[in-house]
Amino acid sequence: MTTKLFAGIAAGTIILLQSGCSTVNTLEPAQPVAQRQMLNDKRVITDTGLYGRVRILGVNIATGPAGFMKIQVEVQNLTSGPKSFTYRIEWFDEYGMIINLPTMTAIPRSLEGKETASITAMAPTDRAKDFRIKFLDQISN
Amino acid sequence: MKKSILRSTLTATGVLFLAGCATPTTYVDPSGSRLVANVNQINIQDFANAADTMVNSLIDNLINQGKLQSGVPSEPALLAVSRITNNTSRQFDTDLLVKKIRVALLRTGRVQTTTTMNLGGPEDPLAADQQKAKEFFEDKKHTRLPDYTLSGKIIQDRTHAGDINQSAFVFQLSLSSNAGIAVWEEEKTIVKQGSAAAIGF
Repeated sequence: MTTKLFAGIAAGTIILLQSGCSTVNTLEPAQPVAQRQMLNDKRVITDTGLYGRVRILGVNIATGPAGFMKIQVEVQNLTSGPKSFTYRIEWFDEYGMIINLPTMTAIPRSLEGKETASITAMAPTDRAKDFRIKFLDQISN
Repeated sequence: MKKSILRSTLTATGVLFLAGCATPTTYVDPSGSRLVANVNQINIQDFANAADTMVNSLIDNLINQGKLQSGVPSEPALLAVSRITNNTSRQFDTDLLVKKIRVALLRTGRVQTTTTMNLGGPEDPLAADQQKAKEFFEDKKHTRLPDYTLSGKIIQDRTHAGDINQSAFVFQLSLSSNAGIAVWEEEKTIVKQGSAAAIGF
């Protein structure tokens, strides 16, 4: 009776673990064709908990024919379960002054366990020369 | 007498208790993460999120590629806002989406929006009258036809599983050239799940 009960609990735990902690498998070319221009970034980490779960792998930038900067931030969920967070991008002109727009908002994003994803953004004007990205853990009250 | 004192004390305590429990009104950053989120309606952060995606796509696929064409060389392209249909279960002003896009496009320095040529009459009647008066006195046409028109639709899809409700809001926009060809199209879907309204997302 006790053995059966243990077997039942173990099976149940495995099913729960498998359903709650599904992680992402990926496939990509071994030698990518694209040449990425990676940016040396400066990070200010105040929420070590979030940084321990969602890691910024790198930032690459490109400028189009019309002079608008495009950025791509590669992020990875280091945990085995889904993770939600928000990010907000701020743009600055050549004098370091912030460019405010009504479209600038905190954008929710969620990643599956171990998933790597790219966050892309376009500069709102060709005057935008710098940027700052803020990451915040999910808030739920 | 004793009963009356007791009743008054209880009432006063109740009022004080209720006043103490009430959530005070606070100001929050409209671009932050501490806004109220509802499942069955589009919140202001959703409009901003959708507008941000649309503007990013327009800049990336049209403006930054140098594909945006203006009828008047050396001047920004002229945009007119056409019909934006709300096909959701809630009533709202579609300018919550469109105005954000207009502001962002104007700031790119590559697009301007006409306020005298709109569906159902001019958005700014005084500007339209001024334009007509100028044409009359100068005996010269000043009306510039739009290079592009913006149209779209907002659609809602609802479903549920047990106590969890899900709403998908689909924002669809098209930019047509004055030849009637859709030169840019984008779709953004925002999916929300939950059983009650919450602060933060």
